[in-house]
Amino acid sequence: MNSFDVIVIGSGPAGQKAAVQAAKAGKRVALIERDQWLGGACVHRGTIPSKTLRENALRVKKMRENAAICKFELAEDTEMSTLIDRLNKVIKAHDGFMVNQIERNNIVRVHGRACFESPTRLAVSKVRGETEIYEAKSFVIASGSIPRKPDNIPVDHENIFDSDSILSTLYLPPSLTVLGGGVIASEYASIFQALGVKVTMIDRYPLPLGFMDADLTEKFVHAFQAMGGTWMGEKVVKSVEWDGLSSVITTCEDGTVVKSAKLLCAAGRVANVADLAIEKAGLSLNETGNISVNNLLQTEVPHIYAAGDVIGPPSLASASMEQGRRASCNALGIQVGPMSKMIPSGIYGIPELSAVGLTEQQARKEHGDVLIGRAKFEEISRGQISGIKDGMLKIISDAKGEQVLGVQIVGEGATELIHIGQMAMLADRPVDIFVESIFNFPTLAEAYRVAALAIIGQRSEHSEVY
Amino acid sequence: MLVYTEWKRPECGVLFVTSPEHNLSPIGLEVADRLQTIVSEKKIDVPLLPDVASRVLAMSNDPDSDASQLAKLIQGDQALAGHVMRIANSAAYTPNASMVSLQQAIARLGMSLISEIALAASLNTKLFKAPGFEKRTAEIWDHALLTGLWGKEIARLSKKNVEASFLCGLLHSIGRPATIHAISEYVRKKEIKITLEEVHVLEDCFHVLFGDVIVRKWEMPAIVQESVQYYRDYNAARTNRDQAMIINAAAKMASVTLGLVSDSLSEVLEDNVFADLNLYKDEIESLRLQEEKVKAGQEAMRV
Repeated sequence: MNSFDVIVIGSGPAGQKAAVQAAKAGKRVALIERDQWLGGACVHRGTIPSKTLRENALRVKKMRENAAICKFELAEDTEMSTLIDRLNKVIKAHDGFMVNQIERNNIVRVHGRACFESPTRLAVSKVRGETEIYEAKSFVIASGSIPRKPDNIPVDHENIFDSDSILSTLYLPPSLTVLGGGVIASEYASIFQALGVKVTMIDRYPLPLGFMDADLTEKFVHAFQAMGGTWMGEKVVKSVEWDGLSSVITTCEDGTVVKSAKLLCAAGRVANVADLAIEKAGLSLNETGNISVNNLLQTEVPHIYAAGDVIGPPSLASASMEQGRRASCNALGIQVGPMSKMIPSGIYGIPELSAVGLTEQQARKEHGDVLIGRAKFEEISRGQISGIKDGMLKIISDAKGEQVLGVQIVGEGATELIHIGQMAMLADRPVDIFVESIFNFPTLAEAYRVAALAIIGQRSEHSEVY
Repeated sequence: MLVYTEWKRPECGVLFVTSPEHNLSPIGLEVADRLQTIVSEKKIDVPLLPDVASRVLAMSNDPDSDASQLAKLIQGDQALAGHVMRIANSAAYTPNASMVSLQQAIARLGMSLISEIALAASLNTKLFKAPGFEKRTAEIWDHALLTGLWGKEIARLSKKNVEASFLCGLLHSIGRPATIHAISEYVRKKEIKITLEEVHVLEDCFHVLFGDVIVRKWEMPAIVQESVQYYRDYNAARTNRDQAMIINAAAKMASVTLGLVSDSLSEVLEDNVFADLNLYKDEIESLRLQEEKVKAGQEAMRV
């Protein structure tokens, strides 16, 4: 019998932080991971591999844009391994860092697949067949998520891929259909398009990334189309099939037929709990297919906590890390302050998008009238210098034009730039802070100043101050 | 009888790995030395079945034949598939390309061109003849095809490269018929006789070296080259260990399907390679359920 104070299931961003936090509190901790490597889908199939590919896609795009300096064409059928050439190094470095951290904190690492036998007992099947029993006073379920498989999409990982297998394709396909309009779909669609693949994006909604304001996502679609991509909104996919030779045939309910060499189904992700037998622990999935938790990240079974993708949105690595840390703190009775609700979202498409706080739509719903300030990157010196097109920063303020309610950005650097707005909001500073502060020049941070001035100019009083 | 341990030709630095317990007769050793010379001097030729050539010819003259039939025909023959891929990947047809699937090659270059490539390859290459070894040669190709098909299923389960797994599996033992061909030619020329048992030993010892030279000469993608070179010792693979592991596992499953080993599928599935692939028991069970599909695929692709 292996007894621990805390057992963490899954070693992704949430699980890793949960385990380290519990160990730092002096507890005996086991970290169970079904894979040979630590890090979960984030490191091995999702965030890190796709961002590594994105870096090379950006280089290719830049080189194409600078044809006057250097004529560049990516060879046909470029091997994927060439495009994610640094991936192994990145993953090895990450793994090394994580292993060191786990060992340094005396966390017991268990390679195997966990399955609840009771609310306090787990059976861990090892890959070579044997089973070990583990018990703990507290558990943190951080088993992550897996791609959702719609019934009408026969994912075969050969011609029809999901987001976990798309990077296993050996060569860059000549054409790709991307089903979905969420974060993963938008990222991969724009990355592959930037690499020269003929991408068609199909989704049931009029615009992708519905959780962001339409004026931002329109810019994203425009940039995607400017690269040669095709966006097909408001289309429902009826069927997908491989023709047995060279094409994946996608048929929509309105009769539209799209042929492509490969297809990526990015129809969302669901909690990865199939092997956990959570019902034996007294748990069940909610209507969205995730594990429900309260504001302490506690499940319906008091000593079992859950964090990360397994509890559903926001499903961001950044939020998962903090959830994991907090889950352990809460399980161990360590006092923590309220979790910040101000979590920025980052979409690593080409171009990037990022948002913090309320969208315009949410702000109007909560606050009634609001003021909007926009700054286009092409009107900012740095944007001109860098040749950034389709970039925009948008500030949403209250009706007085004082309180910052939200910031949304589209354009290169968005995921870094958002933090300026986030810090202003966290410090509860008025819109004026963006005008009164001095930023480096020329930088894209100037867009904050321009957008803030646009809001101040709409104020009913003292609009002439600046 | 001399004890057969290892050959090493210092001038080429090639060390060939084998089981030291095999005993070879003086003739066996003489043939082994000849094989070593062929490897070190990279004088390996790849045989093509004349039967395939005639089928490709018949197909190209038949207006009712289609691209899928051609793909099926070519996929059923590892030597021809290799030739087609080598030529399809050559600078003359697709500069800087690195095509890995026959479907891709046919889709890109068209059916008639692929037919021509297949025909040209077969007519310009010395035909394979290994009198007395026909059964073994057929067995090797059956095994290679099954390895490709099992490779696809294992890769699918592991979410690895399915498309490349077929080609890697189909070509993983390309060195075997090449070795037998070389043995056959030598013993015929020297008018000596070698036992089938010794041929098996030599084929087993030399096929990786032969295969390695062949796929390099064909300029196959690194993933194929490493699969051929390291499928038996996948931990030595530099960058494509997962793929080499898949082919190792697939080859073992193919041997069971063909009845080449006394082990049952259950026994083979206990092999360490499946644990190294991080496949758990239920996943391995799901793999077992693919046997009928793999067999059906083999039947469909048989030339």
